[in-house]
Amino acid sequence: MPMPPEPMRHFQLNGRDCAVPAADHALLLETLRETLGLTGTKQGCDGGECGACTVLIDGVARLACLTRTGECEGRTVETIEGQGVAGRLGRLQRAFHEKLGAQCGYCTPGMIMAAEGLLRRNRSPDEAAIRAALAGNLCRCTGYVKIIEAVLAAAADG
Amino acid sequence: MRNERTVVGRPTPLIDGIEKVRGEARYTEDLPAANALVGRILRSPVAHGRIVAVHTGRARALAGVRAVVTGEDCPHGYGVLPIAMNEFPLARGRVRYRGEPVAAVAAQDAATAAAALELIELEIEELPAYFTAEAARAADAVALHDDRPGNIEREVHHEFGDPAAGFAAADLVREGVYRCAEVAHGQMERNAAHAAFDPERTQLTLWSTTQVPYYVHMMLARTLGLEASRIRVIKPFVGGGFGARVEVLNFELIAALLARAAGGTVRLALSREESFLTHRGRPQTEVRLRLGMARDGRLTACAAEVVQRGGAFAGYGVVTILYAGALLQGLYALPALRYDGWRVYANLPPCGAMRGHGTVDVRFAFESLLDTMAAELGLDPFAVRRANLLAAPTQTMNGLRVESYGLAECLERVERASGWRERRGRLGPGRGLGMACSHYVSGAAKPIHWTGEPHAVVHLRLDFDGGITLLTGAADIGQGSSTVLAQAAAEVLGVHLDRIRVIAADSALTPKDNGSYSSRVTFMVGNASIDAARQLRAKLVAAAAARLGVAETEIEAEAEQFRHVNDGRTLSFAEAAQAALAREAGALTVKGSFTCPVEFQGGGHRGGAVGATMGFSYAAQVVEVAVDEATGAVAVEQVWVAQDCGFAINPLAVEGQIQGAVWMGMGQALGEETRYDEGLAMHASFLDYRVPTIMDSPPVAVQIVESIDPNGPFGAKEASEGALASFPPAFAAAIADAIGLRLDELPVTPDRLTEALAQRKRAERLARSRERAA
Amino acid sequence: MEPLAPFSVVAPTSLAAALAALAEPEARLVAGGTDLMVNLRHGIGAPRTLVDARGVAELRGIAAQGGGLAIGAAVTLAELAEDARVGGRWPALAEAARLVAAPAHRAAATVGGNLCLDTRCTFYNRSAWWRAANGFCLKHRGSVCHVAPTGNRCHAAFSGDLAAPLLAYGATVEIAGPAGARRQPLGALYREDGAAHLTLAAGEIVTSVQLPPQPLPARYAKARARQAIDFPLAGVAVALGMAAGKVAALRVALTGTNASPFLLAGVEALTGAVPDAAWREQLGKLVQKQVTPMRTTLLAAQYRRRAAAALAMRLAAGLAGEA
Repeated sequence: MPMPPEPMRHFQLNGRDCAVPAADHALLLETLRETLGLTGTKQGCDGGECGACTVLIDGVARLACLTRTGECEGRTVETIEGQGVAGRLGRLQRAFHEKLGAQCGYCTPGMIMAAEGLLRRNRSPDEAAIRAALAGNLCRCTGYVKIIEAVLAAAADG
Repeated sequence: MRNERTVVGRPTPLIDGIEKVRGEARYTEDLPAANALVGRILRSPVAHGRIVAVHTGRARALAGVRAVVTGEDCPHGYGVLPIAMNEFPLARGRVRYRGEPVAAVAAQDAATAAAALELIELEIEELPAYFTAEAARAADAVALHDDRPGNIEREVHHEFGDPAAGFAAADLVREGVYRCAEVAHGQMERNAAHAAFDPERTQLTLWSTTQVPYYVHMMLARTLGLEASRIRVIKPFVGGGFGARVEVLNFELIAALLARAAGGTVRLALSREESFLTHRGRPQTEVRLRLGMARDGRLTACAAEVVQRGGAFAGYGVVTILYAGALLQGLYALPALRYDGWRVYANLPPCGAMRGHGTVDVRFAFESLLDTMAAELGLDPFAVRRANLLAAPTQTMNGLRVESYGLAECLERVERASGWRERRGRLGPGRGLGMACSHYVSGAAKPIHWTGEPHAVVHLRLDFDGGITLLTGAADIGQGSSTVLAQAAAEVLGVHLDRIRVIAADSALTPKDNGSYSSRVTFMVGNASIDAARQLRAKLVAAAAARLGVAETEIEAEAEQFRHVNDGRTLSFAEAAQAALAREAGALTVKGSFTCPVEFQGGGHRGGAVGATMGFSYAAQVVEVAVDEATGAVAVEQVWVAQDCGFAINPLAVEGQIQGAVWMGMGQALGEETRYDEGLAMHASFLDYRVPTIMDSPPVAVQIVESIDPNGPFGAKEASEGALASFPPAFAAAIADAIGLRLDELPVTPDRLTEALAQRKRAERLARSRERAA
Repeated sequence: MEPLAPFSVVAPTSLAAALAALAEPEARLVAGGTDLMVNLRHGIGAPRTLVDARGVAELRGIAAQGGGLAIGAAVTLAELAEDARVGGRWPALAEAARLVAAPAHRAAATVGGNLCLDTRCTFYNRSAWWRAANGFCLKHRGSVCHVAPTGNRCHAAFSGDLAAPLLAYGATVEIAGPAGARRQPLGALYREDGAAHLTLAAGEIVTSVQLPPQPLPARYAKARARQAIDFPLAGVAVALGMAAGKVAALRVALTGTNASPFLLAGVEALTGAVPDAAWREQLGKLVQKQVTPMRTTLLAAQYRRRAAAALAMRLAAGLAGEA
């Protein structure tokens, strides 16, 4: 049974224009990882339970595993691959690296993107605000202690 | 000595951390798979049954299906222990748990693979199934494995000293029964394997989410009937292990079988549900514990009966039930011990090794009863521990050697940091403090496969570019082992850390390593790294001395310089390296190794190798809780933990590991548990398996205690498991302190807590009405 | 990853167009997708078309309405939680919105979606393999309810948080469909049947929720195993007005315990009294009597009963104390 051609979706991806074919039922996580080869965004659960696939859509943290690619039409999408600047680490990336906010690293991209969403609307969050913003991102290695330290450090880094 | 060190002992970000924060780290599922087939597994819907037939004809006929394999395709059993290889990649003859792989397909895409599974028809004649240890042990129970009547995988009966006399001499003897639910690792990365088979060369390459690439290699050779030289196993980045991946797992073998059958590349990525079904978690455990205590708190005897519900296959089961007994020792002075353990088969996904392997549930029982008895004797929880400290160096009655012992200092540190003396009993209603201790091995001193080879090997290679390549088979799974090995080598060589690049866990390039389990890597592979670095350093020093025309003993090598001690003439690292390359006729390669001496390999009794190690880590922790009696919610407010890790080669990673261990213990204490309904997993998602969120997780203040172990690399011991086991009992003690209720069952979910409170209320009411009647 | 079974998506911008699209066979309304997409990923339902509600002008925005508020069904939970009017006068609603799942869910999930959330059960919210291995269930493709195998109804629990405070505030919902629009009390949107808990007719959708003016002081709380992500095991909203030291008005609403959210009946008997310990005990007993949690969650049903009562008592005590 021939499948109809997949329509093109247009959005800003990590600051660049992106046109990518995706069926109506395609999920953003699938499009990012499999069509675009951006495997930084992870899948840790079977849908909406772990936060590993967190990306920013129009600057707000969203779950790529429950978001249809078609929903992103005309929007901005940001993933972990867009966090650096000219090859240098972004402030959250640097803080997660230096403070050991990442151990196995699997939750890290989602964690950093959720934290980035927070810092966009709150430049100097306290610990409670950080916890609230990362409430849906599971980490199995760190006990979250150094993740909180990393976000605090990144915020202080301005 | 310490002051002279420039690399070890300093907080060091992980050398592979930059890839992780950039999202560039490639985990198995991230590997390019442009041409890969999609693998899928068909799993048994029934818990126990005889396989009458697996009809695959319709699936094979489906367009786009490239391979279908069943148990018929692999007659070779596997298992991590040579004495218990009773598992098959795909079930043969019988299925033994709901979710056991029965068949697998490789197809051009996921939709075709899913459709193919639908077309496979299973004919299974159901057998009685057992979901509790008790049911499986019943007299008339059908044996899951014909060679294990009564479904007992292993019975252990050990006695050391004279327990009867010890109990007789005690001022207080108490017994308690403690129950711990089965828990799972819940590593964030789901299980996945990527297998490429080249039929022209008869070569297999497998990438997998493993902690033990060498064991995977061995079992691939065995189950596929391939010569080992035709197999290459590569461990890419791995998203956590915690013991889930310390033995070969069925999906790895299935991916290889599919790749061979299809003559191509197969990606087999398991769902979260399937990852839970693959399991290998900590078994449901019941501990009946009896302790004898003198009035001053000294222990006089211990008797423990432990029953573990192990699941359908052997896995590490024999080791787990032996650990549970062996690790009753090694923490405190225990003059007499009776241990009876039963590992039981049941029709559930197989259990295995999980962080704190074997010790966690018995430690919960031990510390809890110790606390209860101390209270009865009017002793402070710290005091009763201090009354039972070991004096290192020593050897326990079951043959465990303790060469360094920082528990007393751990106790001091957390007592002070938590404000125990000032704050306990003064926190207000519903709040409490509890404490407990624990320990863990720094590597199992006797390897599972005894071949006469060293326990760890590291290669160092230096060529024209002046870069040093460290080759190790040890699997970095996020714990930071590659960083520690690089630090150790850099320290010895007197070079900057970034001069060393680590290539880890690729069987075509790196020396064999038994894997990342039992916290063996820092201790064993760290020592091998030091050994290799010493050899390379000697070569460089010799070459520098020759070039300068002086004696080797007159050369000082540090900060990447080779200096003559008297005249100050200096060679740069590059100059020394060039001199060495010329002198050694090309690239320098050295091999360092480490072997645990036989006297550390355990007592002579049967099973005596399990628990034996060259160095135990020690931990003490204080937990503060706030209990909401109305909703049963327990908030963990703060944890203070101190761990004796010998020496912190990377204090940043040590802190992170200790925090992670404490927190994983918290998960087990607070809410994690597997649940089965007629053997069907009810917990197989991150909604139902309740890994604590950041909202549930407390600050964990870490104190590092350094006892400088005489045999550890720079004095180091393990740092990532020891603190786990003291969380649950400290937590239960804190609840008892808060509301006067001592819970003997894990996890302390809100429903269990409110039920216990309701029972207490009923009991009090009954007592009051009896009083009135009297 | 496992791709979803194919469907097409239409994104109408008007209510009329949305209703027309929903009239097509096997069309389903979707907004944030935090409930529906998970079910689809589990192979529960296979719609031919999804009708995206978020572009529909009539469903958007929060507007003042005669002293009260009208909240569009496509308003997200994040918007609701941050709205100053809601937070100021209907704090229980803002609190309920804030307590749903986690931020990334709330940025997508909508008011309408939360009110029309599918019911949940530990035998239902499972993969296709799992449900097949279990012989499916009464709610979907099967004939037996594994929670109560001898009965003939589905006990899946309604687990939306917003319904409880909205019921306590006396909210109404506006419904549009092929037969036109109507407004009704929120409670009438539900029936006590886990397999068919919404009273919406085919092609009908919830378009907005109306909060009446002059709300009673109210609070919302929920019991759950973890302090984020989890659905409520029991969610309780209490609205309580005091006069001269006595309870003048009381409304208690519950969610998470039954197949539908509901207002506690018989609270009239508790008005006119001083809300002392004995009064609270009475309230707790009333809650315990009317909630009917079943074995639909891994935590015990009895716990959900106890927690519902405990939270109702605590919230009432707090409100009485503040007055």
